[in-house]
Amino acid sequence: MNFFDNLAMGLSMVANLESFLALATGVLVGVVAGAIPGLSATMAVALTLPFTFSLQPITGILLLLGVYKGGVFGGSIPAILIKTPGTPASSATVLDGHPMAERGLAGKALSMALYASCTADFISNLALILFAAWLASFALNFGPPEFFTLILFSLTIIAGVSGSHLLRGILSALLGLLLATVGLDLVYGTHRFTFGDPNLMGGLNFIAVLIGLFALPEIINKVWAPHSQISSTSQLGDNRVSFSEYKASFKSIVRGSFIGVFLGSIPGIGAAPSAFLSYSEARRTSPNKDRFGKGELEGVAAAEAGNNGVAGATLIPLLALGVPGDVITAIIIGAFMIHGLQPGPMMFVMNVDLIYGLFTGLLISSILLLFIGAGAIRLFRFITNVPQSLLYPAVLVLCTYGCYAVNNSLFDVGVMFAMGGFGFLMLRLDIPAAPFLIAFILGPLLEDNFRQAMLMSGSSPSILFRGPITWFFWALTLITLVAIIRRMKRPNTTHSAQA
Amino acid sequence: MAVLKVNRQRGIGLGALLLSGFFYLFAIPTWVSSPSNVSNIVLSPLFWPNIIAIMLGAVGVALFFSAQTKEDVMKKPHGGLQRLSLMTVLLVVYLWALSVLGMVWASCLAFLGLAVLLGERRVKILVLVALLVPIALYAFFAHVAGVAIPQGSFTNEYFRLP
Repeated sequence: MNFFDNLAMGLSMVANLESFLALATGVLVGVVAGAIPGLSATMAVALTLPFTFSLQPITGILLLLGVYKGGVFGGSIPAILIKTPGTPASSATVLDGHPMAERGLAGKALSMALYASCTADFISNLALILFAAWLASFALNFGPPEFFTLILFSLTIIAGVSGSHLLRGILSALLGLLLATVGLDLVYGTHRFTFGDPNLMGGLNFIAVLIGLFALPEIINKVWAPHSQISSTSQLGDNRVSFSEYKASFKSIVRGSFIGVFLGSIPGIGAAPSAFLSYSEARRTSPNKDRFGKGELEGVAAAEAGNNGVAGATLIPLLALGVPGDVITAIIIGAFMIHGLQPGPMMFVMNVDLIYGLFTGLLISSILLLFIGAGAIRLFRFITNVPQSLLYPAVLVLCTYGCYAVNNSLFDVGVMFAMGGFGFLMLRLDIPAAPFLIAFILGPLLEDNFRQAMLMSGSSPSILFRGPITWFFWALTLITLVAIIRRMKRPNTTHSAQA
Repeated sequence: MAVLKVNRQRGIGLGALLLSGFFYLFAIPTWVSSPSNVSNIVLSPLFWPNIIAIMLGAVGVALFFSAQTKEDVMKKPHGGLQRLSLMTVLLVVYLWALSVLGMVWASCLAFLGLAVLLGERRVKILVLVALLVPIALYAFFAHVAGVAIPQGSFTNEYFRLP
């Protein structure tokens, strides 16, 4: 059978009410879960898993994939409306989405987030269908030295998200790297800044740091200066994104989608670095780069394309090799096993109908996301009509519940409050928070891969230049650094926008 | 708004430099332990924190010397410090109350406190919303998401929620 025969067979598997309902329910659950800070897409997929036991394999897995896809988009809703990313992947969306909401353009930002998400999701699904086997075999060539150079290159994103305060951005990133060293040492298991407290041995909880850094400073700032800003978020503004606006951002959406596809096909990278890299590339190449970080529609599009581009691609290593690309696909692999299926190369021989059924279902999920997402925007946008004197306390309580729910830990709530205070200090000092978060995410990956590479080579740094992939990323890093230094030397750009 | 004339860039640079010194000279040697048989410095648990601390110092120096004197004026709103102190107290008490009163009742009180701090004066609406939001969140997280929301050591006996 050829490719199109397989696709037709897959379509016949999902062209029934049960599969459609499973996908639609999954997307809806995912969007709602993603929109609640703390209740991440991962948690939603895990909570949905038991409901799939009694379903047909294809229906159950489609339900989970729907939750996954919906969850990635859903995170953008609170990121834009209340500056609280519903999922870590939506952190980059805050950078331009929330400033747009402050200008009364929340509806436009949400709509662009939806269109960019659906487009990227569709491209990611197509990539999964067309390049699954090829990309998976390429990703297998990545060892610790390749990961180290890739992550080092990813850290140059910091320049893109620091705005006009590059040095402060670097300072912020260094503080993030420093905080990421808390916990037991990755190689020797010795203590680093744990003070003997078991709560600190596994490092600080990412969600607690994320919510503390992005949501709480806004609340504290509102207490500090209650009349500091006009509450323009009470107006949702023009809800529509015109075709010309979509067209203007299309290049960034497609680029972000491919960044997402590439990073998503490499196990362990995740959607957050992809969103930041996509955002940074969009900013670097955009004629409106000065407007990035102040409410640029293209910034929202790029960030959302970056994180949704990962969604289909993380299934590439899962289906082609049986290797989960992230935590969510690790849970989904459990659903396969419950139904007696073993993802991997043999599945393309033994269960090819199921594979193509999933491919077709994923393409349909992109279209469902468009409609369900539009409905969710209409529902959640009413948040902006709530008076701020009631909205901010509700956000504080929601953050507390959400942060606690991740690990059932009150310690995490304390970390969130502490990070909130620290984030407020950064806000007052005009130190950008995004570099801190990027470094906090990438720091352990960078150190881990560096030390693994050193262990492999007997501490010889030559291993970091061992092949074309490492050279490629070194070259990219060098080119980016040169571009940053040239930008710093230009007199007008460095301090023009200091507050 | 009153104006507090502080050169932020220079202050941040100095702060980063002091932080770097604190970590390099005191915090890392005291709170990061390393086995004695580490074969190479790059594999040591101390290597990464030390590199970051040194870079922190370098950025601090760069920030200090790149500061421009005419800009970076920090605005301080009237009564801001008092409100900020109250907010700090509110967060500390909220954190303490979470384990004593439970998440629901502590959240009700924190909601009330923060709303009043933000200028909300409609008592009926405030009390209603302050009760409804934490209880609705409890119902969702405890009964839908299956999270064991803390009921509190004090309220566990008298006000335990289903």
